[in-house]
Amino acid sequence: MVSPIIDAARIVKDYGSARALHGVSLQVGAGEFVALVGPSGCGKTTLLKILAGFEEPTDGRLEIEGKDMRGVPAASRPTRMVFQKLALFPHKTVAENIGFPLKLQKVPVAETKDRVRGMLDLMHLRPDYLQRYPAQLSGGEQQRVALARALVSRPGVLLLDEPMSALDAKLKKSLQAELKKLHRELGTSFVLVTHDLEEAMMLADRICVMRGGHVVQVGTPADIYYRPANMFVAGFIGETNFLPVAAVLTASGVQVTSPLTPGASAEIATEHVAPSLSEKGTALLVRPESIRIVRNDAKAGEWTLEGVVEEYFIKGSSTQYRIRVPGLEAAVIVDLAGSIVLPARVGETVRIGFDPTQAFLLSE
Amino acid sequence: MKIEDKYWRDPVLLAAVAPLAVVMIAFFLVPLVMTAVLTFQTTQYYRLSWSWDLKIWTEVFSKPHYWTIMVRTVVMALVCVAICIAIAFPAAYALATRLKTFKTQIQILIIFAFLTDAVLKTFGWILILDKNGVANWLLMHIGFPADALNLLFTPAGTMIGMVYNLVAYPMFTIYLSLVRIDRDLVLAAYDAGASRLRTFFEVTLPLSRPGLYSGAVLVFVLSLGAFLEPKVLGGGTAPLASELIRQSFETRVNWPLGAALTMVLIVIGALMLALSSAFALRRRSAPGRPA
Repeated sequence: MVSPIIDAARIVKDYGSARALHGVSLQVGAGEFVALVGPSGCGKTTLLKILAGFEEPTDGRLEIEGKDMRGVPAASRPTRMVFQKLALFPHKTVAENIGFPLKLQKVPVAETKDRVRGMLDLMHLRPDYLQRYPAQLSGGEQQRVALARALVSRPGVLLLDEPMSALDAKLKKSLQAELKKLHRELGTSFVLVTHDLEEAMMLADRICVMRGGHVVQVGTPADIYYRPANMFVAGFIGETNFLPVAAVLTASGVQVTSPLTPGASAEIATEHVAPSLSEKGTALLVRPESIRIVRNDAKAGEWTLEGVVEEYFIKGSSTQYRIRVPGLEAAVIVDLAGSIVLPARVGETVRIGFDPTQAFLLSE
Repeated sequence: MKIEDKYWRDPVLLAAVAPLAVVMIAFFLVPLVMTAVLTFQTTQYYRLSWSWDLKIWTEVFSKPHYWTIMVRTVVMALVCVAICIAIAFPAAYALATRLKTFKTQIQILIIFAFLTDAVLKTFGWILILDKNGVANWLLMHIGFPADALNLLFTPAGTMIGMVYNLVAYPMFTIYLSLVRIDRDLVLAAYDAGASRLRTFFEVTLPLSRPGLYSGAVLVFVLSLGAFLEPKVLGGGTAPLASELIRQSFETRVNWPLGAALTMVLIVIGALMLALSSAFALRRRSAPGRPA
């Protein structure tokens, strides 16, 4: 990154004696879409509030557009926020809501009118909505008005605090697509806070996974999915399988053996090993889609396990199986390509197999 | 339950409404009609005689003395509203935003003061406002002449009593409006580039209007009927409408006159309420805006 628009370094935030952020560093490039994800209480919203200027960091340095933000109030920052509950002014019309930042900047009335109309077009809102009040709009329309209000003053950075968490799934999908398109068209930097890693993967250029006030991993969606830093990141993205293994370092990679597959060992290449691998709790990450049901066609090098089908779910394009394997705490999740003929029934004993060299080695 | 167009034919609905209707008719509508009817009667030798006569109304409209008192009552009520709001708003704002730590304690103190009998509190003010009272004593000690304040038995004394007895009402209505304002709205205004002052005028004040209006209406209506304060602290030097009505009924035993003055006061109060609600509705001028 040549010159990041946001440069947060070792940000610490204490609330009384509780530490919400333990020295978090994050850089956001100009025009980049960064998502902050993590479970509730991980500090992602606190970090966003610090960027917006609603909270002062206890320690650390924050620069936005090259300027130190210490003591700079929210009103004077080049950031605009879309709030989780939108925070549209209920006593102002849609036109007054969207035009509010321009009114504060003393933009001439005629220009304000033009720009508000332009935002309305951009958000696909009907022009006769201008004189309505927020309470007269649907949830999705209110969302667009909130986005329009945040973008009308052409901010350098748009901050989004889980703005889509209250919408139903279908509306959410269409707004996500629009948000991505909007980001591409405007070239503004977006910082999105979400607890939904799937949403982050869809939208963001880079994802910052947080836990307990620490940054666990920063990377592209592909990095996060295929090269997770640890079991927390890998498990956060959705249901997946961890097979405990014993690992020994070799010249060209790592030699792994599993107590569940006696006698079998495999060599995992370096690019399939998490860089931060530690001794504690090493496991192979085996994605549900890379497991198959083995009949009499076991391949060379394939590791196989025997288990009982506990439950299955028909998802359409795929069918998901939960298979109870003796010696494993959690049921193994297997995603098979969808077909009208079910490959196995509940209660049936099946043999499942996967290629260990294509799995990813990580630790807790 | 679906309410039909011809709901007055629904026996269940009628039965459900009946108790309330009886209470309202017996204790609100009937006395009001009786008062109105009374204004057309005449008294002779301290006796009411049944008649339909406009004599009282000609008297009411021909004597400027009554109207002086009515105007004074309305002016005092309006001034009282202004002072109460001026005190109550900052207090409620502080309570809602700044003094959160001691919020409960302060609220309990206000409720205690509010629940103490108004007669006691009003007489208490005599000790403070008297020429040799606490207020002058304190002022004397910081160098003012011995009788710097001369408030007892003046309209100012009346006003102090009225404000003191009524200020808690708008304090509570405004407080309730203020605490209902979502903190994010204030942050959104800051985020959009508004200063604290601008945010107050663009967001906080408009959204506290319901509390402001209802508080003002409460104070106004209660001030119109102020009786105790002009008597005890005003000393009867500048009587208000309630005192005039009491005199008509009790001292002069002219019930029709008392009833007519009561009607005048009710009409003035209702007109002011209609005006203020029209004003309040005009401010939220949206067509079809949900209330």
